[in-house]
Amino acid sequence: MRAAVRTGWRIGAAAASALRGRAGRPLSQAAGEGSGTEGGSGESGGGGGGGGSGSREAVERLVREHPVVVFMKGSPAQPLCGFSNAVVQILRLHGVEDYRAHDVLQDPDLRQGIKDYSNWPTIPQVYLNGEFVGGCDILLQMHQNGDLVEELKKLGIRSALLDAEKDQEKK
Amino acid sequence: RGFASQTDGESRLTRVLREKFPRASAIKVVDISGGCGAMYEIHIESEEFREKRTVQQHRMVNQALSEEIKHMHGLRIFTSAPKP
Repeated sequence: MRAAVRTGWRIGAAAASALRGRAGRPLSQAAGEGSGTEGGSGESGGGGGGGGSGSREAVERLVREHPVVVFMKGSPAQPLCGFSNAVVQILRLHGVEDYRAHDVLQDPDLRQGIKDYSNWPTIPQVYLNGEFVGGCDILLQMHQNGDLVEELKKLGIRSALLDAEKDQEKK
Repeated sequence: RGFASQTDGESRLTRVLREKFPRASAIKVVDISGGCGAMYEIHIESEEFREKRTVQQHRMVNQALSEEIKHMHGLRIFTSAPKP
């Protein structure tokens, strides 16, 4: 099961690349969050061209600007949603304090654009090395089954939990 | 909690999931917004998830509930394949 999740992550990356490579191709769904926004992919100006903050190009730039990028509600210092907070806390447990966090509540175009980009209806969204990994539930699962330590290692980030284990062994 | 005390939302979502995942061995939908229908927790165990990565499994659920999700504030998804 562990191996399947790890290798599956890579296959997911290929699929994500296929999605990114086709500018202008409409994505199948852009489910809202029940916050009053209407569904439908045409809402944010097509999402394919232009330089709006929710366009594919803009989102692509954001997910690539750092090995760890999070789209959340609120900020790491002050999350405004329990699920976004969970992501922040999990990263903190692993000693990952240096990452890019984008508050979608500050930018409605980005809020919709990130959902179109990943074809995923909810926030928070976690990207590792430009690839969409999942939301809070998936990150929690990766944290619990050890996959997150592995994925961080691939990014050259040593999880703080490895050092915590080492201290325990010494005692 | 007995079947008789499901909310309308929980019943509807369960029905949709049964249709979209005919091979599911277990489906549980819980309204975690205090009955307001704003947030749900979905648990599905199905042969259809075997050998698929978690993100893909969750995408399948998102797809199946895409219409309903538009009216939700959020949802939690827990998927698995039955133990062989």
